[in-house]
Amino acid sequence: MESSAFLLRAEAVDKNFPGVHALNKVDFDLKEGEVHVLLGENGAGKSTLMKVISGTLPKDEGKIFIHDQEVDLTSPHHARNLGIGMVYQELSLIQSLSVAENIFLGSFPKRSIGTLHWSRLYKEAHKLLDDFSVEIDPHQRISALGMAERQLVEITKALSINAKILLLDEPTSALSDEERGRLFDIIHQLQKRGVGIVYVSHRLDEVPQIAQRVSVLRDGKKIGTLPVEEADEETLIRMMVGRELKEHFPKEKVPLGREVLRVEGLTVKNKLNRLNLILHEGEILGIAGLMGAGRTELARALFGIDEIDSGTIFINGHAVKISSPWEAIELGLGYLTENRTDGLVPGLSVTTNIILASLKRLCTLGFLRRNTEKSFSEKYIRELNIHTAGLNQKLELLSGGNQQKVALAKWLCSHSKIMIFDEPTRGIDVGSKIEVFRLMNQLIKKGVGIIMISSELPEVMAMSDRILVMCRGSFSAEFQRGEATQEDLLRCAVIGGE
Amino acid sequence: MFQIKKVTEQSDDRSSAIFWPIKNVRFPETGWSVLLRGGPIIALLFLLIYFSLATPHFGTLSNLKNIAQQNAYLVILAIGQTLVITGAGIDLSVGAVMAVSASVMAVLATQELSILGMTIGPVNVWLAMLIGLVVGTIAGSLNGLVVAKGRIPDFVATLGMMEAARGAALLVTGGLPVPSHLTATELKGYLPEPIIWMGGSEIFGIPTGPLIAIATVIIGWIIMSQTGLGRAIFAVGGNKEAARVSGIKVDRIKIATYTIMGLMAAVAGIVLTGRMNSANALMATGVELKCIAAVVIGGTNLFGGEGTIIGTLIGAIIMGALGNGLNLLNVSAFWQRVIMGIVIIVVVVFDQWRRRRFGA
Repeated sequence: MESSAFLLRAEAVDKNFPGVHALNKVDFDLKEGEVHVLLGENGAGKSTLMKVISGTLPKDEGKIFIHDQEVDLTSPHHARNLGIGMVYQELSLIQSLSVAENIFLGSFPKRSIGTLHWSRLYKEAHKLLDDFSVEIDPHQRISALGMAERQLVEITKALSINAKILLLDEPTSALSDEERGRLFDIIHQLQKRGVGIVYVSHRLDEVPQIAQRVSVLRDGKKIGTLPVEEADEETLIRMMVGRELKEHFPKEKVPLGREVLRVEGLTVKNKLNRLNLILHEGEILGIAGLMGAGRTELARALFGIDEIDSGTIFINGHAVKISSPWEAIELGLGYLTENRTDGLVPGLSVTTNIILASLKRLCTLGFLRRNTEKSFSEKYIRELNIHTAGLNQKLELLSGGNQQKVALAKWLCSHSKIMIFDEPTRGIDVGSKIEVFRLMNQLIKKGVGIIMISSELPEVMAMSDRILVMCRGSFSAEFQRGEATQEDLLRCAVIGGE
Repeated sequence: MFQIKKVTEQSDDRSSAIFWPIKNVRFPETGWSVLLRGGPIIALLFLLIYFSLATPHFGTLSNLKNIAQQNAYLVILAIGQTLVITGAGIDLSVGAVMAVSASVMAVLATQELSILGMTIGPVNVWLAMLIGLVVGTIAGSLNGLVVAKGRIPDFVATLGMMEAARGAALLVTGGLPVPSHLTATELKGYLPEPIIWMGGSEIFGIPTGPLIAIATVIIGWIIMSQTGLGRAIFAVGGNKEAARVSGIKVDRIKIATYTIMGLMAAVAGIVLTGRMNSANALMATGVELKCIAAVVIGGTNLFGGEGTIIGTLIGAIIMGALGNGLNLLNVSAFWQRVIMGIVIIVVVVFDQWRRRRFGA
């Protein structure tokens, strides 16, 4: 590997997070003028690798070489000085400042007396933008630009430091097809100048359009690197999945009851596209899909957090209008949020968090029935095996798994008949995961219908009675239990409908 | 993410093992730590002991009654403010709302008015008081409506109300104290007896102002700890999004806290007017900051989600005792303000340190 054509080389990079081996001895390299696509499922370690290379996260072990020189990246600033430009998945532009100011943020041209050299700032920004034949006025505010233009400004910013290595983290996730085309043009231009580009994506269709080589990560390990000619979709999908399904899912089958929820033509502009679904008593409906496919948006729309543009929701056969969470709760819905902190109040006691969605039921003439509150709290702490020092322990002092159980207890306490679980096992330890699954079994036995959104394919496949796959705001496939393999699910999630 | 491995019963024990030590991390129960965990009450005890030793008059019954009488209105305001701040709001308009409701009450009770050609004339004093309370309540609910429905920061909405209400008070009184000798001749410059009684009389040796203040403390305590509204206020202040997702009507809770605050401000207005035997448009200037200081000294989190009524009561007493004690020590009024400012900061810094060290 002594070829000097390698702009960047990473050897056996290792990174551990508590409970997750995010990167397991990953090798990676990038040649001059090359687009190297990095593929993998959610949580495969793509973003972690990008963050290590851009100096945002320190690596635990391994070596990184730039132009065959070993470097120890200490900060994003350090990486920038070495010519590594990073464009983040969430854009990091300051909305209220102009294009030029954003491009030169942190390295403003100055006059000799130390004041800002405004005219040079705009002139240089103009020149940089012109270089890529990007027609954006450097005086314009970021907030006035569309997503693609912001993306281009972000890339220009990354290149303003003469970056030779550009890291793009899912740059097209928010772009339309036309905008995507423009971005690819720019990428081709950069390639001609010898810039090496690492392109993180989970859209397989983009691979033949831009890549020279493809690497696939899975569970923190690199599965392989292929030249683009050998990287057909089937091969890539096989490399991306391949996780074994083992017997730790205590799924119990419950006879399905009547229909509790029906959704017809649910549309939220630019997010959800005419979705139809049916949920029965005692059923677990799995919703698979990649991040950004619209799964959480679906949950939020059903629960009245986001406004619905068109479509009808039927609960127990009656058309209902849900325009706020409290209406949803009155109708018997419960929503375990994707991010625990969105659904819990960390500074309040375990008890208060448990009864938060049932306040109305626990009050007589506005007065809280303290004894009932206490007995409910004790009941759920016991039933869900929540480890807490007491009823009045502050929630933030509990472990992640126990917090998740409190979040679950909140919806049990409010007697929800339709539960939406968004990533119910994210970030909790294995023991708690199994308890969450057992609890789901108990719920369906009581006739509750569960919509389970999860990025963990084995989990979805093992627990669901039926699986809907989402792709870019639409359902691309529906499978009965046991009908689909992981490859099938991933193909529908990545490519869309057949 | 990571693969689910074979689960044994051990994993349960492990998750509990991860958790239990957190509970056990406690400072050893020495006398000092018990005392330190008490919070602002330590600062109060310290002040009381110091002033009692430094000036013999401080600890006498009549002086303590005096402190209570002088600061009753502050306690009432601070209780309302505790509700607002716990709900992650802040009300800067309390002084102005106090002035406008007191002015309306005093003018109605003492003057002849001509409205639409009819002469209405000093109205029944109880009715005047009721109308004063209604004015305060409406001003408060307006604050709440603007904050919740107009979606603007609490600070800005109540800043606007502060100016507008002060102006309204000037309009109502014409800039003159009420009653003045010009307008209330048959009362010889006195307000009707019931109003004066509210602020400056005694029942069984207990001054009335402080009695009313204690009543609001009890009401505040009941709201915060015994009602669904109280839980909702904490939840909204602690995590607005989580409260909303849990089916709490966040807007209504916000409006409720500001409405209660407005009512409390009107009550405080009556008490202060009674004690001073006068209402005027510029009364109670700057009390909004004083009552916020009392709330903060009492350990309420300015960002919401945490707060106690008892803490606020202690905070208000600290403010009152400090002013009185410094007076007795003949400290100049200018220095008093400097010292007051330092005490606010020292108490809160100490409280924050104490929380980090020992947990709340």
